[in-house]
Amino acid sequence: MMPDLTVTIGQLVLKNPVMPASGCFGYGEEYAAFYDLSQLGAIVVKGTTVEPRLGNAPVRIAETAAGILNAIGLQNPGVVAAKDRIRQLARYGTPVIVNVAGNSSSDYQRVIEILEDEPTVAAYEINISCPNVKQGGLAFGTDPEVVAELINKLRSATHRTLIVKLSPNVTDIVAVAQAAESAGADALSLINTLVGMAIDAEKRRPVLANLTGGLSGPAVKPVALRMVWQVTEAVQIPVIGMGGISCAEDAVEFLLAGASAVAIGTANFVNPTVCPEVIAGLSEYLKRHQLRSVQELIGLAKAAGKN
Amino acid sequence: MPRKITMQITANEALSAEVRRITLTGDITAQPGQFVQVAVTAAHDPYLNRPFSVHDWRDGELTLLYRLVGRGTAILAARQPGESVTVVGPLGRGFPMGREHSAIIVAGGIGAAPLLFLLRRLQAAGKETAFLYGAQTAAALVLREQFQALATTYAESTDDGSRGRQGQVTELLQEVLLKQKADIYACGPEPMLRAVAKLAAAYQCRCYLSLEARLACGVGACLGCVVPARDGSYLRVCVDGPVFAAEEVFAP
Repeated sequence: MMPDLTVTIGQLVLKNPVMPASGCFGYGEEYAAFYDLSQLGAIVVKGTTVEPRLGNAPVRIAETAAGILNAIGLQNPGVVAAKDRIRQLARYGTPVIVNVAGNSSSDYQRVIEILEDEPTVAAYEINISCPNVKQGGLAFGTDPEVVAELINKLRSATHRTLIVKLSPNVTDIVAVAQAAESAGADALSLINTLVGMAIDAEKRRPVLANLTGGLSGPAVKPVALRMVWQVTEAVQIPVIGMGGISCAEDAVEFLLAGASAVAIGTANFVNPTVCPEVIAGLSEYLKRHQLRSVQELIGLAKAAGKN
Repeated sequence: MPRKITMQITANEALSAEVRRITLTGDITAQPGQFVQVAVTAAHDPYLNRPFSVHDWRDGELTLLYRLVGRGTAILAARQPGESVTVVGPLGRGFPMGREHSAIIVAGGIGAAPLLFLLRRLQAAGKETAFLYGAQTAAALVLREQFQALATTYAESTDDGSRGRQGQVTELLQEVLLKQKADIYACGPEPMLRAVAKLAAAYQCRCYLSLEARLACGVGACLGCVVPARDGSYLRVCVDGPVFAAEEVFAP
């Protein structure tokens, strides 16, 4: 018997818990060459702002040990142009989650307003954690009160599922998670990238034009797992776990830590078919352990952790 | 359409102290100027795939030239014939065939890598080709006999004068341009590409440049490899290029 991979995130019923992470999957079309995107539990598109954003000057990427630093700077065509591209994803019949970014609460509200009449959009992921833009982004994500105020406003702007993407660049991620939950978030996603830096010893200068960038890839997985564990201890709403997932075993670890679903980011760059491979691998894992449903895995390591 | 495929290594040999050639077989196609991403290790470090332009593709064989520049290429150099390797490709937009009867190909150092496949295609299309090959030293003019044998005319330059003209390959280009109009194709270091673009504009020739950039995904998703476009926006080297018309990326 095929194990049941269905999970629920807010109002979304996902046929499996695997989705690409925002910013690592464009608006989906780049990976459509490699596999049928309808296999995905959900499609999460790039951070979208009211106006088009050029992004940062190059160099934007630096390779690090088991990961990369990026400082793309939210390059995107703006919500109006993005809407057309999002609409193209309707054909896959899988929920589309739009990552929403901005400089001010009214920016976020405006993006949602413009997307509200687009039936392809199933949920919003509120990006309060981009480390690579000068204003907004991370500034929103570090103060629980500011997060609560923003999510309160956005809650009244939509009935759709509202996911809040949290930054790991805080002293207490649990406080921010709880603030988002009490302000009406339906789910949380974590972690965004960790702020880091690379310096070229020969050229004696920072590698990234932006000086700092967001660290992602296998290098951040232990930090992400720890944060998913802590946050799921403290909130009732589901958590989408992400940070360095590159195989089914990594995904299982996040589910065991308490995540209800997982997102795969940087690994898409290295292995364009990683998402369907993780979905297949999850099924195999469940069969091998004689589990009927992936939901049985969610938080399963907690009990062992408390012994 | 790009795919992720497993390819078998049939040869992996040194052409000079720095440059090597690897030959792979498997179910892939390619156009001149396109590139592939090679997964050099599954061990996460180095993490990203390595992009290499297609040096040649025929009879089911894909050939890549690579320069030993770091740990990724060192790992690749140690791979043995008979082993398999994961490749993503073909990727990117290649060289167009141009319109003039004559074509000039300008190669700078390892920039010669994508130009063999192009040269063969242009010759097969009945074009008259001039291959201009510049490098720092004679030893760096790898596979010079191969290019010389295929091209209608061939000239070379080195920085140190150890072979061919002492000086810049663009000096050779200017001499050819004085005699004829041609479509120009170039791959090499950025200062060379800028100089080629300037000459092409001055002589009103179409000019196609293959650019190099730090790539992550190679498929257009990450927006990591951008170069500034003339209109102030950014172009992705991986999917908008790596071959660009000179006027797309460089002011004349």
